Amino acid sequence: MRGGMERRVVITACSAITPIGRSKAEILHHLVHGISGVKALREDGLLSSYIHSNVFGTVDYPIVYDFQRQHRKTMGPVAYYACQVAKEALESAGLDQEFVTSGRLGVAFGSTHGSPTVQRNIYKTFFSGSRTEFSSIGAVDYLKSMVHTTAVNITKMFGITGRVISSSTACTTSSQSIGYGYEAIKYGMQDAMICGGADEYDTTAVAVFDNLLACSTAFNDTPHLTPRPFDAKRDGLVVGEGAGAVLLEEYEFARKRGTPILAEVIGFACNNNGGDLILPNLGGITETIRIGLREAKINAEEVDFISAHATGTKMGDVIESQAIYDVYGSLPGVVGLKSYMGHSMGSCGVIETIIALYLMEEGFIAPTLNLDEIDERCAMINHVVKLRESPIRIAAIQNFAFGGVNTNLIIKKMP
Amino acid sequence: MTREEIVTQVLCFFGEEFEIENPGLDDNLREKHGFDSIDAIEMLLKIEKMLGSELSHEEKKRAMDIRTINHICDYIESLAAARAAASG
Repeated sequence: MRGGMERRVVITACSAITPIGRSKAEILHHLVHGISGVKALREDGLLSSYIHSNVFGTVDYPIVYDFQRQHRKTMGPVAYYACQVAKEALESAGLDQEFVTSGRLGVAFGSTHGSPTVQRNIYKTFFSGSRTEFSSIGAVDYLKSMVHTTAVNITKMFGITGRVISSSTACTTSSQSIGYGYEAIKYGMQDAMICGGADEYDTTAVAVFDNLLACSTAFNDTPHLTPRPFDAKRDGLVVGEGAGAVLLEEYEFARKRGTPILAEVIGFACNNNGGDLILPNLGGITETIRIGLREAKINAEEVDFISAHATGTKMGDVIESQAIYDVYGSLPGVVGLKSYMGHSMGSCGVIETIIALYLMEEGFIAPTLNLDEIDERCAMINHVVKLRESPIRIAAIQNFAFGGVNTNLIIKKMP
Repeated sequence: MTREEIVTQVLCFFGEEFEIENPGLDDNLREKHGFDSIDAIEMLLKIEKMLGSELSHEEKKRAMDIRTINHICDYIESLAAARAAASG
Protein backbone atom coordinates (compact mmCIF):
# COMPACT_ATOMS: atom_id res chain seq x y z
CA MET A 1 0.00 0.00 0.00
CA ARG A 2 1.20 3.48 -0.82
CA GLY A 3 0.60 6.20 1.70
CA GLY A 4 0.89 9.94 1.65
CA MET A 5 -0.05 12.57 -0.81
CA GLU A 6 -1.71 11.74 -4.12
CA ARG A 7 -2.47 14.75 -6.30
CA ARG A 8 -4.52 15.07 -9.47
CA VAL A 9 -2.60 15.63 -12.72
CA VAL A 10 -3.89 17.33 -15.84
CA ILE A 11 -2.69 17.93 -19.39
CA THR A 12 -2.71 21.62 -20.25
CA ALA A 13 -0.81 21.87 -23.54
CA CYS A 14 0.46 19.73 -26.37
CA SER A 15 2.32 19.91 -29.66
CA ALA A 16 3.28 17.34 -32.29
CA ILE A 17 5.33 16.79 -35.40
CA THR A 18 3.82 13.83 -37.26
CA PRO A 19 3.75 12.32 -40.74
CA ILE A 20 0.13 13.55 -40.93
CA GLY A 21 0.84 17.14 -40.00
CA ARG A 22 1.70 19.54 -37.22
CA SER A 23 -1.46 21.30 -36.12
CA LYS A 24 -4.62 19.85 -34.68
CA ALA A 25 -6.50 20.93 -37.83
CA GLU A 26 -3.99 19.23 -40.16
CA ILE A 27 -3.95 16.02 -38.15
CA LEU A 28 -7.74 15.85 -37.89
CA HIS A 29 -8.01 16.56 -41.63
CA HIS A 30 -5.92 13.45 -42.34
CA LEU A 31 -7.96 11.37 -39.90
CA VAL A 32 -11.33 12.51 -41.19
CA HIS A 33 -10.42 12.03 -44.85
CA GLY A 34 -8.40 8.85 -44.41
CA ILE A 35 -5.15 10.35 -45.71
CA SER A 36 -1.97 8.44 -44.92
CA GLY A 37 1.43 9.96 -44.10
CA VAL A 38 3.31 6.85 -45.22
CA LYS A 39 5.55 7.51 -48.23
CA ALA A 40 8.44 5.85 -50.05
CA LEU A 41 11.55 5.41 -47.87
CA ARG A 42 14.00 8.25 -48.50
CA GLU A 43 17.43 7.39 -49.89
CA ASP A 44 20.08 7.49 -47.12
CA GLY A 45 23.19 6.62 -49.10
CA LEU A 46 23.92 3.70 -46.77
CA LEU A 47 21.23 1.15 -45.98
CA SER A 48 18.14 1.99 -47.97
CA SER A 49 19.11 0.00 -51.06
CA TYR A 50 19.52 -3.17 -48.96
CA ILE A 51 16.23 -2.91 -47.11
CA HIS A 52 13.25 -4.88 -48.38
CA SER A 53 10.73 -2.52 -46.84
CA ASN A 54 10.60 0.64 -48.93
CA VAL A 55 7.99 2.58 -46.96
CA PHE A 56 8.33 5.12 -44.15
CA GLY A 57 6.10 7.35 -42.03
CA THR A 58 7.54 10.56 -43.38
CA VAL A 59 7.73 14.13 -42.12
CA ASP A 60 8.34 15.84 -45.45
CA TYR A 61 7.10 19.37 -44.83
CA PRO A 62 9.38 22.25 -43.83
CA ILE A 63 9.66 23.14 -40.15
CA VAL A 64 10.90 26.62 -39.36
CA TYR A 65 13.21 26.64 -36.36
CA ASP A 66 14.39 29.87 -34.76
CA PHE A 67 16.79 28.47 -32.19
CA GLN A 68 19.82 30.54 -31.27
CA ARG A 69 23.28 29.17 -31.96
CA GLN A 70 24.01 28.68 -28.26
CA HIS A 71 21.20 26.11 -28.28
CA ARG A 72 21.68 24.71 -31.79
CA LYS A 73 25.29 23.76 -31.13
CA THR A 74 24.37 20.75 -28.98
CA MET A 75 21.38 19.60 -31.02
CA GLY A 76 21.16 16.79 -33.57
CA PRO A 77 18.01 16.33 -35.68
CA VAL A 78 16.17 14.49 -32.88
CA ALA A 79 16.75 17.39 -30.46
CA TYR A 80 15.45 19.88 -33.03
CA TYR A 81 12.20 17.91 -33.11
CA ALA A 82 12.07 17.62 -29.32
CA CYS A 83 12.88 21.25 -28.57
CA GLN A 84 10.37 22.50 -31.15
CA VAL A 85 7.41 20.57 -29.70
CA ALA A 86 8.49 21.37 -26.13
CA LYS A 87 8.79 25.04 -27.02
CA GLU A 88 5.33 25.11 -28.56
CA ALA A 89 3.75 23.31 -25.61
CA LEU A 90 5.45 25.61 -23.08
CA GLU A 91 4.53 28.74 -25.03
CA SER A 92 0.96 27.57 -25.37
CA ALA A 93 0.73 26.94 -21.63
CA GLY A 94 2.08 30.38 -20.78
CA LEU A 95 3.96 29.37 -17.64
CA ASP A 96 5.84 32.30 -16.19
CA GLN A 97 9.63 32.21 -16.41
CA GLU A 98 10.07 32.29 -12.65
CA PHE A 99 8.21 28.98 -12.36
CA VAL A 100 9.99 27.42 -15.35
CA THR A 101 13.36 27.88 -13.64
CA SER A 102 12.13 27.26 -10.07
CA GLY A 103 12.95 23.56 -9.89
CA ARG A 104 9.24 22.65 -9.70
CA LEU A 105 9.09 22.01 -13.47
CA GLY A 106 10.84 18.89 -14.73
CA VAL A 107 11.42 17.15 -18.04
CA ALA A 108 10.56 13.58 -19.01
CA PHE A 109 11.63 13.15 -22.59
CA GLY A 110 13.35 10.46 -24.61
CA SER A 111 14.16 8.94 -27.95
CA THR A 112 14.98 5.43 -29.11
CA HIS A 113 18.72 6.01 -29.13
CA GLY A 114 19.58 9.68 -29.41
CA SER A 115 20.56 10.87 -32.85
CA PRO A 116 21.49 8.06 -35.27
CA THR A 117 22.47 10.66 -37.88
CA VAL A 118 25.18 12.07 -35.61
CA GLN A 119 26.20 8.59 -34.42
CA ARG A 120 26.66 7.51 -38.02
CA ASN A 121 29.11 10.36 -38.60
CA ILE A 122 31.04 9.41 -35.47
CA TYR A 123 31.31 5.78 -36.62
CA LYS A 124 32.47 6.90 -40.04
CA THR A 125 35.31 8.75 -38.33
CA PHE A 126 36.17 5.74 -36.14
CA PHE A 127 36.50 3.52 -39.16
CA SER A 128 38.38 6.04 -41.28
CA GLY A 129 41.66 4.82 -39.77
CA SER A 130 42.97 8.37 -39.72
CA ARG A 131 44.32 9.91 -36.53
CA THR A 132 43.60 13.39 -37.86
CA GLU A 133 40.03 12.41 -38.57
CA PHE A 134 39.74 10.81 -35.14
CA SER A 135 40.81 13.95 -33.35
CA SER A 136 38.28 15.92 -35.36
CA ILE A 137 35.35 14.34 -33.53
CA GLY A 138 33.74 17.45 -32.17
CA ALA A 139 33.15 18.10 -28.51
CA VAL A 140 29.49 18.45 -29.25
CA ASP A 141 29.01 15.16 -31.08
CA TYR A 142 28.31 13.28 -27.87
CA LEU A 143 25.89 15.94 -26.65
CA LYS A 144 24.04 15.77 -29.95
CA SER A 145 23.86 12.00 -30.10
CA MET A 146 23.55 10.74 -26.51
CA VAL A 147 20.46 8.92 -25.35
CA HIS A 148 19.21 11.80 -23.20
CA THR A 149 19.98 14.50 -25.76
CA THR A 150 16.29 15.44 -26.18
CA ALA A 151 15.64 15.93 -22.45
CA VAL A 152 18.73 17.98 -21.65
CA ASN A 153 18.57 20.17 -24.72
CA ILE A 154 15.06 21.08 -23.54
CA THR A 155 16.36 21.91 -20.05
CA LYS A 156 19.14 24.04 -21.54
CA MET A 157 16.87 25.94 -23.92
CA PHE A 158 14.38 26.94 -21.21
CA GLY A 159 16.59 26.98 -18.11
CA ILE A 160 14.58 24.16 -16.53
CA THR A 161 16.13 23.01 -13.26
CA GLY A 162 13.77 20.27 -12.07
CA ARG A 163 13.93 16.51 -12.47
CA VAL A 164 15.14 14.92 -15.68
CA ILE A 165 13.79 11.53 -16.70
CA SER A 166 14.96 10.23 -20.04
CA SER A 167 13.50 6.85 -20.78
CA SER A 168 14.75 5.09 -23.85
CA THR A 169 12.62 2.00 -24.22
CA ALA A 170 11.94 1.98 -27.94
CA CYS A 171 8.20 2.01 -28.59
CA THR A 172 7.26 2.80 -24.96
CA THR A 173 9.73 5.68 -24.63
CA SER A 174 7.23 8.52 -24.68
CA SER A 175 4.36 6.71 -23.00
CA GLN A 176 6.81 6.12 -20.14
CA SER A 177 7.75 9.80 -20.27
CA ILE A 178 4.12 10.78 -19.71
CA GLY A 179 3.59 8.06 -17.11
CA TYR A 180 6.68 8.87 -15.08
CA GLY A 181 5.98 12.59 -15.41
CA TYR A 182 2.47 11.94 -14.14
CA GLU A 183 3.81 10.00 -11.15
CA ALA A 184 6.38 12.72 -10.34
CA ILE A 185 3.54 15.23 -10.02
CA LYS A 186 1.03 12.87 -8.44
CA TYR A 187 3.40 12.06 -5.58
CA GLY A 188 4.50 15.66 -5.06
CA MET A 189 8.05 15.69 -6.39
CA GLN A 190 7.23 18.21 -9.14
CA ASP A 191 4.34 20.59 -9.89
CA ALA A 192 4.64 20.32 -13.67
CA MET A 193 6.47 18.16 -16.19
CA ILE A 194 7.08 18.60 -19.90
CA CYS A 195 6.82 15.07 -21.27
CA GLY A 196 7.23 13.36 -24.59
CA GLY A 197 9.53 11.81 -27.11
CA ALA A 198 11.07 12.21 -30.53
CA ASP A 199 12.72 10.14 -33.20
CA GLU A 200 14.38 11.40 -36.35
CA TYR A 201 14.51 9.88 -39.83
CA ASP A 202 16.62 6.77 -39.42
CA THR A 203 17.05 3.73 -41.62
CA THR A 204 18.82 1.74 -38.88
CA ALA A 205 15.48 1.05 -37.20
CA VAL A 206 13.98 0.01 -40.54
CA ALA A 207 16.90 -2.35 -41.16
CA VAL A 208 16.54 -3.97 -37.72
CA PHE A 209 12.83 -4.69 -38.13
CA ASP A 210 13.38 -5.64 -41.77
CA ASN A 211 15.94 -8.27 -40.77
CA LEU A 212 13.47 -9.61 -38.21
CA LEU A 213 10.90 -9.95 -41.02
CA ALA A 214 8.66 -7.58 -39.07
CA CYS A 215 8.48 -4.79 -41.67
CA SER A 216 5.84 -4.35 -44.34
CA THR A 217 7.21 -5.18 -47.79
CA ALA A 218 4.16 -5.97 -49.93
CA PHE A 219 3.05 -2.38 -50.42
CA ASN A 220 6.26 -0.72 -51.59
CA ASP A 221 4.48 0.63 -54.66
CA THR A 222 1.43 1.78 -52.70
CA PRO A 223 2.82 3.08 -49.38
CA HIS A 224 -0.49 4.61 -48.28
CA LEU A 225 -2.00 1.12 -48.08
CA THR A 226 0.30 0.05 -45.24
CA PRO A 227 0.52 -0.57 -42.33
CA ARG A 228 -2.79 -2.39 -41.97
CA PRO A 229 -3.44 -3.02 -38.28
CA PHE A 230 -5.88 -5.88 -37.63
CA ASP A 231 -6.44 -6.39 -41.38
CA ALA A 232 -6.18 -9.86 -42.91
CA LYS A 233 -3.63 -8.59 -45.46
CA ARG A 234 -1.35 -6.84 -42.97
CA ASP A 235 2.28 -7.74 -43.49
CA GLY A 236 4.22 -5.85 -40.86
CA LEU A 237 5.04 -2.51 -39.38
CA VAL A 238 6.17 0.68 -41.07
CA VAL A 239 8.85 2.70 -39.29
CA GLY A 240 8.31 6.45 -39.11
CA GLU A 241 9.55 9.66 -37.53
CA GLY A 242 8.02 12.37 -35.39
CA ALA A 243 7.80 14.05 -32.02
CA GLY A 244 5.30 15.08 -29.43
CA ALA A 245 5.16 16.93 -26.14
CA VAL A 246 2.49 17.32 -23.50
CA LEU A 247 2.65 19.58 -20.49
CA LEU A 248 1.40 17.97 -17.29
CA GLU A 249 0.48 20.12 -14.30
CA GLU A 250 -0.83 19.46 -10.83
CA TYR A 251 -4.56 20.11 -11.02
CA GLU A 252 -4.85 22.87 -8.38
CA PHE A 253 -1.81 24.63 -9.80
CA ALA A 254 -3.37 24.62 -13.29
CA ARG A 255 -6.79 25.64 -11.97
CA LYS A 256 -5.37 28.60 -10.10
CA ARG A 257 -3.51 29.69 -13.23
CA GLY A 258 -6.82 29.61 -15.06
CA THR A 259 -5.27 27.71 -17.94
CA PRO A 260 -7.49 25.53 -20.18
CA ILE A 261 -7.32 21.84 -19.21
CA LEU A 262 -7.28 19.35 -22.06
CA ALA A 263 -7.74 16.18 -19.97
CA GLU A 264 -6.83 14.55 -16.68
CA VAL A 265 -4.34 11.71 -16.48
CA ILE A 266 -6.02 9.23 -14.16
CA GLY A 267 -3.86 6.14 -14.44
CA PHE A 268 -0.62 4.70 -15.70
CA ALA A 269 0.73 1.18 -15.78
CA CYS A 270 4.08 -0.17 -16.82
CA ASN A 271 5.27 -3.73 -16.54
CA ASN A 272 7.51 -6.24 -18.26
CA ASN A 273 6.81 -9.63 -19.78
CA GLY A 274 9.68 -11.05 -17.75
CA GLY A 275 11.06 -13.19 -20.51
CA ASP A 276 11.31 -12.97 -24.28
CA LEU A 277 12.56 -9.57 -25.45
CA ILE A 278 10.84 -9.62 -28.84
CA LEU A 279 7.65 -11.66 -28.87
CA PRO A 280 4.43 -10.02 -27.65
CA ASN A 281 3.12 -11.67 -24.52
CA LEU A 282 -0.58 -12.06 -23.80
CA GLY A 283 -0.15 -12.37 -20.04
CA GLY A 284 2.09 -9.32 -19.77
CA ILE A 285 -0.08 -7.11 -21.95
CA THR A 286 -3.31 -8.17 -20.25
CA GLU A 287 -1.80 -7.44 -16.87
CA THR A 288 -0.67 -3.96 -17.98
CA ILE A 289 -4.20 -3.15 -19.08
CA ARG A 290 -5.58 -4.39 -15.77
CA ILE A 291 -3.03 -2.47 -13.69
CA GLY A 292 -3.86 0.71 -15.62
CA LEU A 293 -7.56 0.37 -14.78
CA ARG A 294 -6.76 -0.37 -11.15
CA GLU A 295 -4.47 2.66 -10.88
CA ALA A 296 -7.18 4.81 -12.48
CA LYS A 297 -9.74 3.36 -10.06
CA ILE A 298 -12.21 2.69 -12.86
CA ASN A 299 -14.00 -0.32 -14.26
CA ALA A 300 -13.33 -1.64 -17.74
CA GLU A 301 -16.76 -0.59 -19.00
CA GLU A 302 -15.99 3.06 -18.28
CA VAL A 303 -13.38 3.22 -21.06
CA ASP A 304 -14.87 4.52 -24.33
CA PHE A 305 -11.85 4.50 -26.60
CA ILE A 306 -8.66 2.48 -26.88
CA SER A 307 -5.70 3.64 -28.92
CA ALA A 308 -4.14 0.25 -29.56
CA HIS A 309 -0.41 -0.18 -30.09
CA ALA A 310 -1.40 -2.07 -33.26
CA THR A 311 1.74 -1.97 -35.35
CA GLY A 312 0.34 -4.19 -38.10
CA THR A 313 2.51 -7.22 -37.41
CA LYS A 314 1.08 -10.70 -37.86
CA MET A 315 1.30 -11.76 -34.26
CA GLY A 316 1.27 -8.50 -32.28
CA ASP A 317 -2.19 -7.45 -33.42
CA VAL A 318 -3.71 -10.84 -32.57
CA ILE A 319 -2.21 -10.86 -29.06
CA GLU A 320 -3.32 -7.28 -28.42
CA SER A 321 -6.86 -8.02 -29.64
CA GLN A 322 -7.04 -10.98 -27.30
CA ALA A 323 -5.76 -8.93 -24.35
CA ILE A 324 -8.26 -6.15 -25.04
CA TYR A 325 -11.07 -8.69 -25.31
CA ASP A 326 -10.05 -10.45 -22.11
CA VAL A 327 -10.27 -7.20 -20.13
CA TYR A 328 -12.84 -5.07 -21.94
CA GLY A 329 -14.87 -7.52 -23.99
CA SER A 330 -16.18 -5.83 -27.12
CA LEU A 331 -17.33 -2.55 -25.59
CA PRO A 332 -14.80 0.26 -26.22
CA GLY A 333 -14.02 1.45 -29.74
CA VAL A 334 -10.52 0.31 -30.74
CA VAL A 335 -8.32 2.14 -33.25
CA GLY A 336 -4.79 1.58 -34.49
CA LEU A 337 -3.56 5.12 -35.19
CA LYS A 338 -0.29 3.86 -36.68
CA SER A 339 -2.35 2.99 -39.76
CA TYR A 340 -2.13 6.70 -40.67
CA MET A 341 1.54 7.39 -40.04
CA GLY A 342 3.49 4.25 -39.38
CA HIS A 343 5.36 3.62 -36.17
CA SER A 344 7.22 6.72 -35.04
CA MET A 345 9.11 4.65 -32.48
CA GLY A 346 10.03 6.67 -29.37
CA SER A 347 7.39 9.29 -30.13
CA CYS A 348 4.42 7.02 -30.87
CA GLY A 349 2.99 7.02 -27.34
CA VAL A 350 2.86 10.79 -26.99
CA ILE A 351 1.60 11.35 -30.54
CA GLU A 352 -1.18 8.81 -29.97
CA THR A 353 -2.02 10.50 -26.66
CA ILE A 354 -2.23 13.89 -28.38
CA ILE A 355 -4.52 12.47 -31.07
CA ALA A 356 -6.68 10.91 -28.34
CA LEU A 357 -6.93 14.40 -26.78
CA TYR A 358 -8.03 15.84 -30.13
CA LEU A 359 -10.66 13.12 -30.63
CA MET A 360 -11.85 13.58 -27.05
CA GLU A 361 -12.22 17.30 -27.63
CA GLU A 362 -14.05 16.87 -30.95
CA GLY A 363 -16.28 13.95 -29.90
CA PHE A 364 -15.59 11.47 -32.66
CA ILE A 365 -13.48 8.38 -33.19
CA ALA A 366 -11.45 8.10 -36.39
CA PRO A 367 -11.37 4.64 -37.95
CA THR A 368 -8.33 2.42 -38.34
CA LEU A 369 -7.05 3.13 -41.84
CA ASN A 370 -6.61 0.24 -44.30
CA LEU A 371 -8.80 -2.03 -42.21
CA ASP A 372 -10.71 -3.50 -45.14
CA GLU A 373 -11.07 -7.08 -43.99
CA ILE A 374 -10.73 -7.72 -40.27
CA ASP A 375 -8.54 -10.73 -39.47
CA GLU A 376 -10.89 -13.21 -37.83
CA ARG A 377 -8.38 -13.69 -35.01
CA CYS A 378 -8.72 -9.99 -34.21
CA ALA A 379 -12.46 -9.72 -34.82
CA MET A 380 -13.77 -10.18 -31.28
CA ILE A 381 -13.19 -6.53 -30.29
CA ASN A 382 -15.04 -3.38 -31.31
CA HIS A 383 -13.01 -2.10 -34.27
CA VAL A 384 -13.85 1.34 -35.53
CA VAL A 385 -13.94 1.00 -39.31
CA LYS A 386 -15.89 4.15 -40.17
CA LEU A 387 -15.74 7.57 -38.60
CA ARG A 388 -17.95 7.36 -35.55
CA GLU A 389 -19.56 10.33 -33.80
CA SER A 390 -19.00 9.36 -30.21
CA PRO A 391 -18.21 11.29 -27.06
CA ILE A 392 -15.05 10.01 -25.41
CA ARG A 393 -15.02 10.38 -21.65
CA ILE A 394 -12.15 8.04 -20.88
CA ALA A 395 -9.42 6.88 -23.28
CA ALA A 396 -6.67 4.30 -22.87
CA ILE A 397 -3.42 4.54 -24.83
CA GLN A 398 -1.57 1.23 -25.07
CA ASN A 399 2.05 0.79 -26.12
CA PHE A 400 4.37 -2.21 -26.12
CA ALA A 401 8.10 -2.30 -26.81
CA PHE A 402 10.98 -4.55 -27.69
CA GLY A 403 12.41 -5.69 -24.40
CA GLY A 404 8.98 -6.80 -23.20
CA VAL A 405 8.00 -3.38 -21.83
CA ASN A 406 4.27 -2.60 -21.78
CA THR A 407 2.46 0.61 -20.86
CA ASN A 408 -1.14 1.68 -20.46
CA LEU A 409 -1.97 5.35 -19.99
CA ILE A 410 -5.50 6.39 -19.09
CA ILE A 411 -6.85 9.90 -19.62
CA LYS A 412 -10.22 11.41 -18.78
CA LYS A 413 -12.08 14.36 -20.27
CA MET A 414 -12.61 17.15 -17.77
CA PRO A 415 -16.26 17.92 -17.06
CA MET B 1 51.84 34.17 -39.41
CA THR B 2 51.78 37.81 -38.36
CA ARG B 3 49.68 38.97 -35.44
CA GLU B 4 47.35 40.66 -37.91
CA GLU B 5 46.83 37.42 -39.87
CA ILE B 6 46.11 35.53 -36.67
CA VAL B 7 43.54 38.11 -35.56
CA THR B 8 41.86 38.00 -38.97
CA GLN B 9 41.63 34.20 -38.95
CA VAL B 10 40.33 34.06 -35.40
CA LEU B 11 37.67 36.70 -36.05
CA CYS B 12 36.66 34.92 -39.24
CA PHE B 13 36.30 31.65 -37.30
CA PHE B 14 34.27 33.34 -34.58
CA GLY B 15 31.89 34.76 -37.16
CA GLU B 16 31.47 31.55 -39.14
CA GLU B 17 31.42 28.95 -36.38
CA PHE B 18 30.12 30.78 -33.34
CA GLU B 19 28.02 33.48 -35.01
CA ILE B 20 29.92 36.02 -32.90
CA GLU B 21 30.52 38.93 -35.29
CA ASN B 22 33.35 41.43 -34.70
CA PRO B 23 33.79 41.00 -30.96
CA GLY B 24 36.00 43.56 -29.25
CA LEU B 25 39.52 42.16 -28.92
CA ASP B 26 39.38 42.56 -25.15
CA ASP B 27 35.72 41.59 -24.65
CA ASN B 28 35.18 38.91 -22.02
CA LEU B 29 33.94 36.25 -24.42
CA ARG B 30 32.00 34.24 -21.86
CA GLU B 31 30.24 37.17 -20.24
CA LYS B 32 29.58 39.22 -23.34
CA HIS B 33 29.11 36.59 -26.05
CA GLY B 34 28.12 33.34 -24.28
CA PHE B 35 31.36 31.61 -25.33
CA ASP B 36 31.49 28.42 -23.24
CA SER B 37 33.60 25.31 -22.63
CA ILE B 38 32.10 23.55 -25.65
CA ASP B 39 33.14 26.46 -27.86
CA ALA B 40 36.61 26.42 -26.31
CA ILE B 41 37.12 22.80 -27.31
CA GLU B 42 35.91 23.54 -30.84
CA MET B 43 38.34 26.45 -30.96
CA LEU B 44 41.25 24.19 -30.02
CA LEU B 45 40.45 21.90 -32.94
CA LYS B 46 40.53 24.94 -35.21
CA ILE B 47 43.87 26.04 -33.79
CA GLU B 48 45.32 22.58 -34.43
CA LYS B 49 44.30 22.95 -38.05
CA MET B 50 45.77 26.45 -38.25
CA LEU B 51 49.09 25.24 -36.86
CA GLY B 52 49.05 21.94 -38.75
CA SER B 53 49.97 20.05 -35.59
CA GLU B 54 48.29 18.51 -32.58
CA LEU B 55 48.23 20.26 -29.24
CA SER B 56 49.52 18.41 -26.21
CA HIS B 57 47.27 17.94 -23.17
CA GLU B 58 49.36 20.52 -21.29
CA GLU B 59 48.94 23.02 -24.09
CA LYS B 60 45.19 22.41 -24.17
CA LYS B 61 44.90 22.89 -20.42
CA ARG B 62 46.60 26.29 -20.73
CA ALA B 63 43.79 27.37 -23.07
CA MET B 64 41.20 27.04 -20.33
CA ASP B 65 42.28 30.41 -18.87
CA ILE B 66 41.57 32.23 -22.12
CA ARG B 67 38.96 34.99 -21.80
CA THR B 68 39.41 37.32 -24.80
CA ILE B 69 40.26 37.35 -28.51
CA ASN B 70 43.61 38.91 -27.62
CA HIS B 71 44.27 36.02 -25.21
CA ILE B 72 43.52 33.56 -28.03
CA CYS B 73 45.91 35.35 -30.36
CA ASP B 74 48.63 35.41 -27.65
CA TYR B 75 48.09 31.70 -27.15
CA ILE B 76 48.38 30.92 -30.86
CA GLU B 77 51.50 33.06 -31.17
CA SER B 78 53.16 31.25 -28.29
CA LEU B 79 52.29 27.84 -29.75
CA ALA B 80 53.60 28.85 -33.16
CA ALA B 81 56.80 30.17 -31.61
CA ALA B 82 57.32 26.94 -29.63
CA ARG B 83 56.91 24.90 -32.79
CA ALA B 84 59.25 27.13 -34.75
CA ALA B 85 61.88 26.85 -32.01
CA ALA B 86 61.49 23.05 -31.86
CA SER B 87 61.92 22.66 -35.60
CA GLY B 88 64.60 25.29 -35.99
